[in-house]
Amino acid sequence: MIRALYSAASGMTAQQLNIDNIANNLANANTAGYKSRRAQFQDLLYQNMVAPGSSAGQSTVVPTGLQLGLGTRASSNEIVFQQGDFSATSNPLDLVIQGRGFFQIKQASGQTAYTRAGGFHLDNTGSLVTSDGDQLQPQITIPPTAQAINIATDGTVSYTLPGQIQAQNAGQITLANFQNPAGLNSLGRSLYLPTDASGDATVGTPGGSEGIGTLQQGYLEQSNVSVVDEFINMITSQRAYEANSKVVKAADDMYSQVNNLTR
Amino acid sequence: MDAISISAASGMKARMESLELLANNLANVETGGYKADREFYSLYTSLDASPDAQTGDRATLPVIESHWTDLAQGDFRATGNPLDFAIDGDGLFAVETPRGTRYTRNGNFRISSTGVLTTSDGSAVRAKGGGQIHVAADAPFEVKPDGTVRQGGQNTGQLELVGFAPGSINKEGSNYWNPLAGAARQPAKGSLLQGKLESSNVGGPESAVRLVAILRQFEMLQKAMSIGNDLNKRAIDEVARVQS
Repeated sequence: MIRALYSAASGMTAQQLNIDNIANNLANANTAGYKSRRAQFQDLLYQNMVAPGSSAGQSTVVPTGLQLGLGTRASSNEIVFQQGDFSATSNPLDLVIQGRGFFQIKQASGQTAYTRAGGFHLDNTGSLVTSDGDQLQPQITIPPTAQAINIATDGTVSYTLPGQIQAQNAGQITLANFQNPAGLNSLGRSLYLPTDASGDATVGTPGGSEGIGTLQQGYLEQSNVSVVDEFINMITSQRAYEANSKVVKAADDMYSQVNNLTR
Repeated sequence: MDAISISAASGMKARMESLELLANNLANVETGGYKADREFYSLYTSLDASPDAQTGDRATLPVIESHWTDLAQGDFRATGNPLDFAIDGDGLFAVETPRGTRYTRNGNFRISSTGVLTTSDGSAVRAKGGGQIHVAADAPFEVKPDGTVRQGGQNTGQLELVGFAPGSINKEGSNYWNPLAGAARQPAKGSLLQGKLESSNVGGPESAVRLVAILRQFEMLQKAMSIGNDLNKRAIDEVARVQS
């Protein structure tokens, strides 16, 4: 009986976590470059009440036994790296990656982080930086007098100076790719860090190897959160929470009846 | 104790275990690939009890002797993730865990940092005939209904699907199944679906009905026990009363 209460409690805890996860997805429905996370659950241990194969009599054995499960637990909430929608911004420094790659960002600490959010700006030295001011790697510098910044699909950045026809090359943006992007560590601010599970970054030029992706200028990648799906998940999760709370109530009722046996 | 109380107590204990099974099912209503457990009531015949003098029946008590797992197909949920797999029909994925080969219906897989297809806890998914499935991360890959993995126009391996006779495998937790000693493997007839996950097959409405049934049956048994107590009380208080 206590088992029923704890199983139901584990179910409620799991659904709470599911709702937490959905809430974060919905909160980031408009965050450019955000990748949704999906909670996954596992069943917990099983308690053998009657071991399968144990003897039921002198010549018979119990064929299956009686195992009571002890509830559920959240096993992971993996990042779903599905491509988000593109929205045209006509800002020449907004970039999307059509493929699996990541932009490399040098954080203030000097450590390299990775992001899918491609809304870049120029800082006071003319370098391409994120909205937090962290520098894009490799560093791209555009002089203040530059006009018509052009970023090709292979990452080559060029600009023209006033009075000149010849375009000036400012460098090439490279992208990082991971064996297992779902194993990346979310840092917040749309940044990811590699882990043992994700493997080390392999850096390549856009379009250079299959899958790393190409760049598209003047677009931003929207969050890949599907609001409809999240709402449906929220409804099923809420109902599952409710069902588990009913089990708690039922177990409690049965207990109180047992306690009332002796009057 | 009298016979009514003993039977009722045994029935109440069995209903409590039923509720425990149901609680576990409902807790796992969102666990991918989870299969619901059901109880199997039977009569416990005490071998030591002497048979009834008139009918020759031995004393029997209702108990839950075993459980069975409802292997009905769960619903498919499209995820769009090429590393999610569902099995349509019977069959289990074979997984090499540190404890030995285990089996699972949860096809939420990853690619490890070394390029091996693994479950979410990092255990390698077994290829047909043993070995691992290697997938290059930088190219799209496709898995056919028979489990053949194709990448870059070439077959790079085949996922193994294993079947077992019902009742010859046990749940181990963490979505794994462990076959009993001597369980015979059968060819699995199911087919693979890529980009989908199998949901738990625990039915919400059905579970609600079972919950009500368990509660009411428990209540009836509790009433029966009260009646048995009353009878006892009367026997003590009234039958044995000496008229003064």
